[in-house]
Amino acid sequence: MTGLIRSELRKAFTTRIGWGMPLAQFLLAALFVGIAGAFMLFVAVPGPTGGEGAPMGNSLEPTVLARTLYTGGMQVGYLLSLVLGILSMGSEYRHKTLTATFLSAPRRGRVIAAKVVALTIVVVVNGLAHLAGALVTGGALLLAADKAVFPEAGDLLGVLARMLLVFVLWGLMGLGLGVLIPNQVAALFVGVAFAFLIEPLLGVFIGMVDALADVARFFPSQASMAALSLYEGMDSATVEQAGGNPDQLTWWVAALVLLGYAAMMTVVGWVLTQRRDVG
Amino acid sequence: MTDVAQHEGTGISVRGLTKTFGTLRAVDDLTFDIRPGRVTGFLGPNGAGKTTTLRMLLGLVRPTAGEALIGGHRYADLPRPLNVVGSALEATGFHPGRSGRDHLRVLAATHGIPDSRVDQLLELVGIPAAARKRAGAYSMGMRQRLGLAAGLLGDPGVLLLDEPANGLDPEGIRWMRGFLRHLAAEEGRTIVVSSHLLAEVEQTVDDVIIIANGRLVRQGTIEELHGEQTVLVRTADAAALAAALERAGLTAQPSPEHGPGALQVEGADGDLARVGDVALAAGQPVHELRALRTDLERMFLELTESPEHRNRNLQETT
Ligand SMILES: Nc1ncnc2c1ncn2[C@@H]1O[C@H](COP(=O)(O)OP(=O)(O)O)[C@@H](O)[C@H]1O
Ligand SMILES: [Mg+2]
Repeated sequence: MTGLIRSELRKAFTTRIGWGMPLAQFLLAALFVGIAGAFMLFVAVPGPTGGEGAPMGNSLEPTVLARTLYTGGMQVGYLLSLVLGILSMGSEYRHKTLTATFLSAPRRGRVIAAKVVALTIVVVVNGLAHLAGALVTGGALLLAADKAVFPEAGDLLGVLARMLLVFVLWGLMGLGLGVLIPNQVAALFVGVAFAFLIEPLLGVFIGMVDALADVARFFPSQASMAALSLYEGMDSATVEQAGGNPDQLTWWVAALVLLGYAAMMTVVGWVLTQRRDVG
Repeated sequence: MTDVAQHEGTGISVRGLTKTFGTLRAVDDLTFDIRPGRVTGFLGPNGAGKTTTLRMLLGLVRPTAGEALIGGHRYADLPRPLNVVGSALEATGFHPGRSGRDHLRVLAATHGIPDSRVDQLLELVGIPAAARKRAGAYSMGMRQRLGLAAGLLGDPGVLLLDEPANGLDPEGIRWMRGFLRHLAAEEGRTIVVSSHLLAEVEQTVDDVIIIANGRLVRQGTIEELHGEQTVLVRTADAAALAAALERAGLTAQPSPEHGPGALQVEGADGDLARVGDVALAAGQPVHELRALRTDLERMFLELTESPEHRNRNLQETT
């Protein structure tokens, strides 16, 4: 099994995407956190109660501010993790390397298990690059705005660790999707369109219907935000102003919901991989 | 490169193997044995079902019925398959962005095979220089060589090569033949080479299995199947030479498609000197004298040309 995992890790880090993706994670996290931070710290907006304009960051507790800032690139982060997951299997279909893979490891269930482990490692490496980017720009902005850079270290570290977990779970959803839709380009298109557009929009529409608003909280994107306790410590007016649903799941329930999606998709991938002919 | 004693001679048995794709019976109740320690040509026209058979043997395609065993085991049940069976299949891909060396290292990792073995193989198949370049830039010949190196990684006692000469230039084909002979010479190794061209493998194989439309057509040693070789001779007075050949105990048939005065001679089994001597004794000038075809060649030609055996894919599209 360790041999199979090593093989999968070699696959992941012997193509350009192996190093290009962490770089992209670093840069995009820096960019998104930079934009969100600049807006929150330096752009005056009328407060929820109207009145004198002040940057939104001013009204937030230091912990909430830092948490919101450092996770500002979360959506790109989990999107790229989803892409990594899709590529894990999609690239084998696309480049017909699955033949060689199954010849060297004919017990396919073990290949999927090795992919799960290797993907987790790859996504964590990418997630760390993401965190580095987020901390560099986020920290610099907080410093420039004369705010606490790392208040309540324990709480903040917990949130950042949970962000890595969220990335891993999105990666596993991608792994299953890459098997479900063996055409890699189609899988990427469907995955990104779903995660970036369809699901959030659907969530917003459903959120407007009171009877269904509860359901939307279980959607992957809303569960991801809840898993980071993103709106904890914010008043609901501010959350709604930011386009969020203040009534979110407890972080660990949200994490379990995501785990459920990830497990479901992995099982789909596992079952289909067992059955399919390769040739 | 090989520990000869390690290859104990693993045979292959195929029993009632069948694969249907929709309504197409790509492989149709195939039964045959491949003898250990020999080179077997697995022949058949394009679309005959060779690749599908090999893929079922390797656990990549699930048989509709029947089974295919290697040394009595299913491929998926082999604990370290690369050490038992090596294969280079058609349409095996390489990630274009990964170097050939890394492609092999990925596979090597599954069996704990060291990088030194990878480099040794790259040397052996003659692509050490290209090994660190992206595989996307490889020529067809280099891809075939890399595929072969992958098959040899675990120093297996059984080697399955699917159309190894496909897409190679004449130089590459010559190299591949020599390489196969070199592999075959190592005692005990069982080698299966599939091809849609008899001439490609004729000189290398001991045994032949011929399939068409997914069904077994013939099986035997190459000597058995070769049968007799016809001789073509062309002269000025075909009738006179034919009479002389008949007197010498040979049969001669006029063969106008080979030009004026051409005769196809049977009974000499490819012995050109014997036919030439008869012509000289009869005072007939020899304008052309060559070996024509063997039974096997004739049969294979018929197989590939007769409409019911022709590639079903081509038929479907025409
Ligand atoms: N995955 C598949 N789906 C449908 N038809 C297939 C598939 N694989 C092979 N075939 C068909 O099965 C027949 C045998 O193909 P193949 O085994 O590749 O023949 P060969 O290797 O002898 O040329 C062909 O008609 C081919 O089109
Ligand atoms: Mg073929």
